[in-house]
Amino acid sequence: MRLNGVEIGSVPAELHGMRLLDYLRAERGLTGAKEGCGMGECGSCTVVVDGAAVTSCLVLVGQVLDAEIRTVEGLADAGHEPLQRAFVARQAVQCGYCIPGVLNSCAALLDRVPDPDDDQIRTALDGNLCRCTAYNRFYDAVHDAACERRTDEAGPA
Amino acid sequence: MSTTPTLLRPATATDVAGMLRDGRAICGGTDLLVQRRAGAPVASMIDLTAIRDGVPVLEETAAGDLRLSALHALTEITSALGEELGPLREAVAVFASTTIRNRATLGGNLANGSPAADTVPPLLVLDAVIDVVTPDGGTRAVPLADFLLGPGRVQLGEQEWIRTVTIPAAARGGVRPDAGFRKIGGRAAQAISFLSMAWQWRTSEDGRLTDVRLAMGAVAPTVVRLTAVERLLEGTTPGPEQIEAAAAAVDQDIRPIDDLRASAAYRRRCAAGLVREALGALATRPPRDERQHPWT
Repeated sequence: MRLNGVEIGSVPAELHGMRLLDYLRAERGLTGAKEGCGMGECGSCTVVVDGAAVTSCLVLVGQVLDAEIRTVEGLADAGHEPLQRAFVARQAVQCGYCIPGVLNSCAALLDRVPDPDDDQIRTALDGNLCRCTAYNRFYDAVHDAACERRTDEAGPA
Repeated sequence: MSTTPTLLRPATATDVAGMLRDGRAICGGTDLLVQRRAGAPVASMIDLTAIRDGVPVLEETAAGDLRLSALHALTEITSALGEELGPLREAVAVFASTTIRNRATLGGNLANGSPAADTVPPLLVLDAVIDVVTPDGGTRAVPLADFLLGPGRVQLGEQEWIRTVTIPAAARGGVRPDAGFRKIGGRAAQAISFLSMAWQWRTSEDGRLTDVRLAMGAVAPTVVRLTAVERLLEGTTPGPEQIEAAAAAVDQDIRPIDDLRASAAYRRRCAAGLVREALGALATRPPRDERQHPWT
């Protein structure tokens, strides 16, 4: 298993039946992923497995031993610092509980679709509940991050 | 947190035989782990995701059948499908949420035997055949209509599991069939369908409908084909009267019940409405592509 770009040694067999969410929090000390509902409904435990956003409460460790896993802690190192800065700039965070999951869903989208439209962002976030209802700010932040990346790629004027 | 169950991960289909005697098969886990959390006793699980390496996401047989992996995530299946199997792609587009679609599988959705499973109406419309692996390592092909037995019951014996789902060439729809999927749920995302319907037919040059296929979910103990509606529409050019007759005929095909999600009466009204919508009698939205959602 690679976790945030680092190869993890072998995982003891007795942990294979553990939920990825519990493994990340209790065994790896990565507490960014949060447990909300524990049933895949709320998205606050969303992490990225082999490029796809998934709810880590419904994944078992033994299923992802050969996978590349990214949590919110590894987001900046994976080139998504602009996304995180855009969330701050747009004041898209209120209570913050959903944010690690929301960021991971948005980052997985941006990795796949560099310049998403509102529909694509909405679909990417259809598994992430935000009780503070900052959704429109999430959309703005994703557009900002996409725009910044475009500008960076174009190079200095 | 509940006690950690054991998880075995067979690397090949051959290794699975025997393991399933003592445990539950798990693939995406998006339903089994929810059941477990709700108290269902699941002590030991056999993860089938490693076997994916030996099963293509999608392959076309020499006869032109399409064989879909039952073990890969729904999003992987629909990405591979391109323009094929419109009703299935539309159903996946409104299935739960992105995060669930990235894990959930056709095998799991079928094995659950839910009358409200969203991939089942399109698969029934497409005459899907379920390729079941038997304990001796053989395979038996079960037509989906025979596979579905009742709520939570399917024709899957002890230690059997689903490897692939085959769509016969004749059901693929050919060039641009009129086809689609609609669901009615409490909200756009993460909703278990109150009612769902898939349809597919061809329109001949003179406007007649041929090869008419419709299936409806959450209106009977299993997902059902709407045979009375199909018979009524086959070979006709539906005008207003024909459409109303079809919307009335759906009553013969369904046996809805009152449950926590909707009443039987509401389901009957919705069933008629969906038939009208499929036939274009209501101002409908244009067909959605995969990334769009019903509220747009």
